[in-house]
Amino acid sequence: MATESIKYLTPETETKLKSKAFPRPHQNTSGIVNWLTTIDHKKIGVMYGLAALFFLILGGVEALLIRSQLWNHNMEVLSNREYNQMFTMHGTTMVFLVIMPLSAAFFNFIMPLQIGARDVAFPRMNTLSLWCFIAGGITLNLSWFFTGGSPAIGWFGYAPLTDTRFAEVIGDMGPDFWIFSLQILGLASLLASFNFITTIINMRAPGMTMMRLPVFTWMTLIVSFLIILAFPAITIALVELMFDRTYGTNFYDFLEGGKPHLWQHLFWIFGHPEVYILILPAMGIVSEIIPVFSRKPLFGYGLIVFSGAIIGFMGFAVWSHHMFTTGMGIVATSAFSILTMLIAIPTGIKIFNWIGTMWGGRIRFETPMLFALGFITMFMVGGFTGIMHSSVPIDAQHQDSYFVVAHFHYVLIGGALFGLFAGFYFWLPKLTGKMLNEKLGKFVFTLMFIGFNVTFFPMHYLGMIGQPRRTHSYNEGHGFETWNQIATIGAFILGVGILIGVYQFVTAFFNKKLKDAGKNPWDARTLEWTLSSPVKEYNFARTPIIKSRDQAWENNYGPKENHSDKVPLDDHGVHMPDRSWYPLVSGLGFLGLVLGLLFHQSVDANTGEILRDYTYAIAGGSIAIFGIIMWSLEGPAGYHLFPKETEE
Amino acid sequence: MKTLLNKIQTLSYIILPAFFSFIGGCSRIDHKQSALDPKGLVSQNQYDIFMLSVWITIFLFCAVGGCLMYVLWKYRAKTPEEAMEVPPQSHGNSKVEISLIIASTLILIILAVPTLQGVVLMNRVPDPNDSETLEKLGLDRSAIDDAITVNVTGKRFFWIFEYPQFGIVTSNELVFPASKAVRINLRTEDVIHSFWLPKLAGKMDLMPGQENFLWFIANEEKIRTRKDSDGNMTLVSTEIAMPSVFNGKMRERIFAKQKFTDEFEAVGGLFYGQCAEYCGNSHAYMSFRALAQTDDDFDSWVKRFQNSQNPNLQPGTYNPEEEYQKDSIVQFADPALGDSGTREFRAVQAIAKGQAPNLDKKVWKKAHSDDYEMGKKLFSSLQCVQCHAINRTGLGSKGPNLTLFGIRTSLAAGWMRNDEENLSKWLRNSNEVKFGNLMWNGEGVDDDHPLRNLENDDEKVNQLVTYLLGLK
Amino acid sequence: MSEASAHALEHHEPETSTGIPNKKVLMWAFLGSDCMFFGTLISTHLIYRKISATVGGNTLDVRDIFDIELTSFSTFILLASSLFMALAVSAIHKGNLSSTRWMLFGTIIFGAIFLACQVYEFTHFVHVPGNELTLSSYRGEPHVFGSTFYVLTGTHGTHVAIGVFWLIGWFVYSFTGKMSTADALDIECCGLYWHFVDIVWILIFPVVYLMEYAF
Repeated sequence: MATESIKYLTPETETKLKSKAFPRPHQNTSGIVNWLTTIDHKKIGVMYGLAALFFLILGGVEALLIRSQLWNHNMEVLSNREYNQMFTMHGTTMVFLVIMPLSAAFFNFIMPLQIGARDVAFPRMNTLSLWCFIAGGITLNLSWFFTGGSPAIGWFGYAPLTDTRFAEVIGDMGPDFWIFSLQILGLASLLASFNFITTIINMRAPGMTMMRLPVFTWMTLIVSFLIILAFPAITIALVELMFDRTYGTNFYDFLEGGKPHLWQHLFWIFGHPEVYILILPAMGIVSEIIPVFSRKPLFGYGLIVFSGAIIGFMGFAVWSHHMFTTGMGIVATSAFSILTMLIAIPTGIKIFNWIGTMWGGRIRFETPMLFALGFITMFMVGGFTGIMHSSVPIDAQHQDSYFVVAHFHYVLIGGALFGLFAGFYFWLPKLTGKMLNEKLGKFVFTLMFIGFNVTFFPMHYLGMIGQPRRTHSYNEGHGFETWNQIATIGAFILGVGILIGVYQFVTAFFNKKLKDAGKNPWDARTLEWTLSSPVKEYNFARTPIIKSRDQAWENNYGPKENHSDKVPLDDHGVHMPDRSWYPLVSGLGFLGLVLGLLFHQSVDANTGEILRDYTYAIAGGSIAIFGIIMWSLEGPAGYHLFPKETEE
Repeated sequence: MKTLLNKIQTLSYIILPAFFSFIGGCSRIDHKQSALDPKGLVSQNQYDIFMLSVWITIFLFCAVGGCLMYVLWKYRAKTPEEAMEVPPQSHGNSKVEISLIIASTLILIILAVPTLQGVVLMNRVPDPNDSETLEKLGLDRSAIDDAITVNVTGKRFFWIFEYPQFGIVTSNELVFPASKAVRINLRTEDVIHSFWLPKLAGKMDLMPGQENFLWFIANEEKIRTRKDSDGNMTLVSTEIAMPSVFNGKMRERIFAKQKFTDEFEAVGGLFYGQCAEYCGNSHAYMSFRALAQTDDDFDSWVKRFQNSQNPNLQPGTYNPEEEYQKDSIVQFADPALGDSGTREFRAVQAIAKGQAPNLDKKVWKKAHSDDYEMGKKLFSSLQCVQCHAINRTGLGSKGPNLTLFGIRTSLAAGWMRNDEENLSKWLRNSNEVKFGNLMWNGEGVDDDHPLRNLENDDEKVNQLVTYLLGLK
Repeated sequence: MSEASAHALEHHEPETSTGIPNKKVLMWAFLGSDCMFFGTLISTHLIYRKISATVGGNTLDVRDIFDIELTSFSTFILLASSLFMALAVSAIHKGNLSSTRWMLFGTIIFGAIFLACQVYEFTHFVHVPGNELTLSSYRGEPHVFGSTFYVLTGTHGTHVAIGVFWLIGWFVYSFTGKMSTADALDIECCGLYWHFVDIVWILIFPVVYLMEYAF
């Protein structure tokens, strides 16, 4: 079980394809090489998480600069272009470099444990998607240092503002960096999603039927499907935009026959499923936490799973509600309006079911549960304002005002981020083997909850009295000042809360004072809690045979026939695949390719002609291809371990 | 325990009223650009649906949130022992689930019906022959029959308003009759903008390569309603609520307020709008105003504009072969204004042939001050005329149309009060006021415009200011 | 692949929950995603097809440019290559190495012919006298048809080229003496990809080419 390929070598045979350039590191390698060459889903999850937390702080600083600029009318903390760059980078960073990779961190770490697998289906591909994500983050933030600085186009880069024709700095490279970083981040998400889909479909432990999957794993599967079906739309939209900017095609150039409307459709066909890509993992986490802290199984498991799938499916049918004010005509706006209202029903079902889960339980208010409850209430507010926007006449006033800003922050911070923080407090003991400080956790929750509401609740009102979003300044006399100041104060409280939280997560890995967690500190229900904390590199010493839905709980409290069995180990033991350098090599190759494409153009100083030099792009691409070829030739290889049955 | 509760109670007696009065003080709903203070039919409809949704969601929040609170309180683990108990492991109840699904569907229908009606209202001006609908909406047939049309063109970062029915063009200030429906056709010449007039119409995007539409009709009674010092609603007269624009009364009345910020309270007929779709560097500064007028005042305004933009009515060069009536205006060389300087002269009385303008003879009078004439000259020599039309419709010109600039209330696309001080600040360095504006930066980004040399030239700036504000 | 590992292989055939090998599931997931890539491109082309006819005062009738006989021929060639691919997959399952090798070779040749036709077609379109169609213009004036046409068919061509290189990889590998039925799964995945690329062309050909003659 759990090998990547059938080209498998027993430990007695040496692999014949030994590369001299990049010898495979030994299984017990330590230090930096350990992290650079790892193919262990747990380590990859940790790296995803740490990188995303770093970007969370970066995006948070950008947000605080934005809030400082809006403290009063006509402030000059940032110039208008700097402000426009800030909100573009803040949006792009938070969506693509924070929420998505944080979700990916949990997918990586938790999902294989929940289905009783020893790793994901393609461990090296998993590493590649990590490096692609990091390359994308680097590419996006490199933009600060080149012509024109960071993109100032908004996170959805509406055409034709992205056209070179309307650039406000000569030779502005910001949008190019934006395009290429999103492409490489898309590659990372796609690779990861193919991997997760294969893993969940194919690598479940015996007896782990689809309807016994923990809800978090279900949401992983749905989100992965959303990603592989939604990302192509933006990839192609970005390719077309790249062609427009670099080779003069006319996809979005309205002066030469293109239609800027097309960009909006393609973007939101991706963009709306993306909203569910961001929120469904958090819903999955909350659906795990609430049963644990209520000591009851999830109320209406089937309906929760089904409504998650419905939300994902309908996510593809409502994209145009982002475009109610673009003049689509009565029929289209009405149809999308009604469809959008319908999507509120499966979302409502989830909330009813979470309350149903708590009904009759024994509720403990520990930090994960507090964050989960914060999620429910805040997401409810965000959902309600979402219902308002589904009504076209209301949206005619709300669209592009601070009301909308309030709405999506309620969904993305009050929703997604609270859910992910709940996940951290819930599962970090499993990662580190140490319990987090409960008091500090509750303090972080209090700061975040208060700071968040103080920041974003006033924005509903600000939007209604006419503050448009994405304006670096406002005039006096609108009555915006007081509430913007309150929001700014709240933002700093929220920022401090998040900072302490991040500090707590990072130090949890080496803080010796923390209490040991043991196997199942929360008396939780799903399979990962049958393992020791931290989890051994092979996850399961013996592959479990699953008998029921909440296996860890059933093992402790259920009838005998529901206790899980174990598949006996055969004489080959547990096969562990070898580390590899090639995912990193390929990742660097992709980074080189992207940078080569970014800088392939130069202008001849004398003639003004555009010169194109693809040397570096080809070099980068060749490295990537070399990496992939060597990767397929080296095979998974591996070594064997013979853990005792109790060593898990 | 009891004392603690008492303390909290006493504290709440003090804090809560203070809190609510603070909230109340800061949360007026009739701000400049507030969608919570609708003054027209369409925005009122949008507001009504919004309030319906607010009540629905408050109800839902209380119901679901109350339920949640109840559960959290009732089923909390009170002791560590209780926290380790194993409650009955129930897995769900399909009857409860189905009834909740049905209930939420019903609630959505309550919102869906007015939504669909609202979509139709926003997108279509009611048919004037459909008297039933007109009656329901409380509209006069004439309001629709005599509707005016305005073609709005958005540019970075200002607005052009063209009135095709009257053949006139203005910019950044939309003058409209309060009693008539106004159809707005939206176009753009560069990137996407969005026309947002919260108190009248909501918003609609200006999409490149496509013409979008919205309409509104103001409600005169609402414009005239005002809160007096006691907080009672009173109706003020039309002259106070909607001073006429064409003769500068509107400008005077709102400038009578000491502060720019108080202008919108001076009259009811002054509305604020803003570009709501991010369009580049100075997106924040792309605002506009809409000025409501009585029918008569609107007609007079249109007439003045038509005259000002009619090339046949511009003062001609003095012709010795012609007789001039009293008050006719001619252009004639005046050496006092430098080489090739011409000045406008007004006839004090009827003038026979061959009496060339000459100030000594007292039959001709200077039409304008010297500064005005010098400013006019500068306006051509500094190439302002290349982008700004002043006495013509000038459709297609790069900059805002400045016809009758002296009666405008605002400057720089509604950003500042249009007075001497602000105008001279604007002319000296417009980039400081509005970074990235076309006048300073030109089409290319580093275009060296003669305007850039005005920064310390007090004399020229004064002359230009006198000229521009003299255009009335 | 050494004997020892071949032995180990029998022993360690990974059992998956569905019984379908992981790689195949991965391939199907990828193809599902790829459908959306082409879906987006094809819809872009369809959206612009009518609009693009009259841009810039130049009425574009692509029938003046297209060489439908050549494209029909290359379509046939690409479809025929699918047959070779299927035969190669079947041969490797049966362990017939030499047949596999030559069927792979046939697929490569036919794929290459298709690519050559496309390269000819592109260079030809850019230079049709009086009807030059480039990425950004038609008859020297800005036009959008070239943009959608070249990017759509070019993306498909890139897919074919990747497939050809992949097949060349297998073809070379077949001479190393290491190829065995153990590679059947990998070649089958390659085949899935190849068939998919063909099927996409079956969609593109009528939508982009034939439709111009019908409507």
